[in-house]
Amino acid sequence: METDFVFKDVAHVHAALEASGYICSPVIATIVFLAKATHKPVLVEGPAGVGKTELAKAVARSLDRELIRLQCYEGLDEAKALYEWEYAKQLLYTQMVKEKIGDVIAGARSIAEAVDRVAAQEDAFFSERFLQPRPLLQAISSERPVVLLIDEVDKSDPEFEAFLLEVLSDFQVSIPELGTRRARHIPAVYLTSNDSRDMSDALKRRCLHLYIDYPDRDLELRIVRLRRPGLGDRLAGQLVDAVRSIRALDLKKKPAISETLDWAQALLALQVEDLSLDILRDTLNVVCKHRSDVQLVGEKIEKVCGAAPRLRK
Amino acid sequence: MVPLLLRFVAGARAAGLRVSTSEVLDCLQHLERIDPLAEPQFKSVLRANFAKSRREQAHFERLYQLFFHELRQDPSIARSPELAPAIQAILQSLRPAAGADPVLQALIDFLAGDPGGLAERLPAADVGGWPPGAASSGGGSAGGRRLELAERIRMLQAQLEQALAGRRDELGWEERRDLAGHFQDRLNAVRRLLGEPLETPALPQERQRSMRRVADELGEVHFASLTPREVEAMREAIAQLVRRLKDRISRRNAARRRGVPDVKKTLRRAAAYEGVPFEVCYRSRPPRRAKIVALCDVSGSVWSAARFMLNMLYSLQDCFAQVRSFIFVAGVEEVSEIFKRHAVNPAIDKILKEADIDYNAATDYGRTLREFRQRFMDGLNRQTTLILIGDGRCNYTYPEQGILAEMRARCRRLIWLNPEAPQFWRTGDSEMRVFEAVCDEVRPCQNLNQLLDFITTLVL
Repeated sequence: METDFVFKDVAHVHAALEASGYICSPVIATIVFLAKATHKPVLVEGPAGVGKTELAKAVARSLDRELIRLQCYEGLDEAKALYEWEYAKQLLYTQMVKEKIGDVIAGARSIAEAVDRVAAQEDAFFSERFLQPRPLLQAISSERPVVLLIDEVDKSDPEFEAFLLEVLSDFQVSIPELGTRRARHIPAVYLTSNDSRDMSDALKRRCLHLYIDYPDRDLELRIVRLRRPGLGDRLAGQLVDAVRSIRALDLKKKPAISETLDWAQALLALQVEDLSLDILRDTLNVVCKHRSDVQLVGEKIEKVCGAAPRLRK
Repeated sequence: MVPLLLRFVAGARAAGLRVSTSEVLDCLQHLERIDPLAEPQFKSVLRANFAKSRREQAHFERLYQLFFHELRQDPSIARSPELAPAIQAILQSLRPAAGADPVLQALIDFLAGDPGGLAERLPAADVGGWPPGAASSGGGSAGGRRLELAERIRMLQAQLEQALAGRRDELGWEERRDLAGHFQDRLNAVRRLLGEPLETPALPQERQRSMRRVADELGEVHFASLTPREVEAMREAIAQLVRRLKDRISRRNAARRRGVPDVKKTLRRAAAYEGVPFEVCYRSRPPRRAKIVALCDVSGSVWSAARFMLNMLYSLQDCFAQVRSFIFVAGVEEVSEIFKRHAVNPAIDKILKEADIDYNAATDYGRTLREFRQRFMDGLNRQTTLILIGDGRCNYTYPEQGILAEMRARCRRLIWLNPEAPQFWRTGDSEMRVFEAVCDEVRPCQNLNQLLDFITTLVL
């Protein structure tokens, strides 16, 4: 067994995540460190676009592990999350070895004996070969330690959540035909939730809870500088100030970090050097995803600029 | 470290935060791995283990602030350091008077900068059910302890005032004012710790409980007799009920999706592979989603019932293929647009203000139906469930039940909801007798329970 990468302390996590392109607050670093040290799943909550999924990816990168992602949706069931028998492949093999059946039962004196002989071959069809592992089984049976991301777990049905409990507490899965599979390495598990429904207390109890909110100004500025290195210092500052003042408005969908980064990308593409009122108005659609939001920001555009006085022209 | 954490947990439990024993164990395990003296880390460990949703977080923050900051304030750094000797002197002079009373002594200790004793005396420890902390601090119910503590705080405050007044010669007017202010602040911190956690309504578990209570209590109240505050409570109750209903629907749909094998279809597909059934088809029929057309009487008493029905219908909008709504008094107007543009509750308020309807006119079903036939008849088809909510009181005009029958013929079913009690349905100017004959179903709809019943049968 190869030695696994281990975080030494919270500061180490901070540095490792930053090296893999994710700037985090001390709270996030602490939780990531503890989750790794004590093999606890982390339930990450927060508004859309603040980097919940990105966190799991960054952790995977910094640990140099494979990321296995399970996207949840309404109606997701065990067959899609855990494993499935490859029916078509089983049938195909049955067809191909059809002729062999004669050899197997040749010389059988009675039907009962023939059936016994066929039954002895049965295991061949319920073996690893015909098992299609889905993300959860993949994560558990992987040779190397992995990071398991269960995305938008709140979208799944309550019954799937209950099923998840078993997997997350024991890290083992039972397949009736093959027996119980125990995890070779306990994966680092990250669950993300958009709060579209409350998770059950039982699930919460097993997890560390992490709420990621919109970042403060410095953090956001650092994130922009890291992810969009082409952007000038001045423009980055203007951009972050503008986004922050837009966020303060009463919008349907507040712009998150991902929108800030999109906007920065857009400004880079437009080769803008200074965020003027006109540019702001023209590129508003990158940040605001609802028509009414665009209108509202359009009306308050002076105020948005007022918050960042350098914008005034 | 362990006793400190246990005290905090006991306090947090008393204040309504749900903390399980396994979470405490986890937390202790985590604390071993970090530097507990670095406060951000210490705090985030506690928060990650004890507050597991956004709602609980705010609550946790306040408890944490109270427990680890306000209680631990050193008197020497309060206000101005030069006051510290005076503070200690006054407190020392009070000690003999306090005598053997442990509570009073603990309070004085607290004012002098040692909160340990006081934290143990907090009634929280009892409720939390953590025996080690609670047993050592003696008996008495939590409520009794609370009362006792509040009483002692009052006593101490009186003594402090006296002591300050007695030192008029030694201390200047400003100093005495500052000292009084300081003691006041500290005692208020204790009061807050005693009282405030009890008053917070935002605890999830309490909220859930109260929501069920609201639903139970309000369930049987007639819509028209709700007070404005009850209307607010009702909206929250409805939101909760709708969430639960949606959960149920999604579960049902999930079960339906799995379906049973469709033999006919499977065999047909198998023909392509020499009769070997490679592709198994399942008989899964997508659930039929109804189109809803709601026609609401908005005159007087009926409106109070109609608004809640609209609220529920639009909250469940994604369970239906389409929801259209019309309101009428004497003449009909479509309000679907308003619901499309605004959230449910503001939309309902907006309708009352903006819709082009003469709210003071006498209800005229005949005219309404005629107008509906003329303008909106094409909105009805075989998938439509038509819901009419009204009292059927036509003010002695012609009810035009013929048109209603025509509408009935065009849609899947017609359900009439009547917010009046059934015994009045056929009295006075009520034309329920003729309308009833046309409808598939007539239901009384006077309170939340009846409405919920109806909505449940509608979506399930």
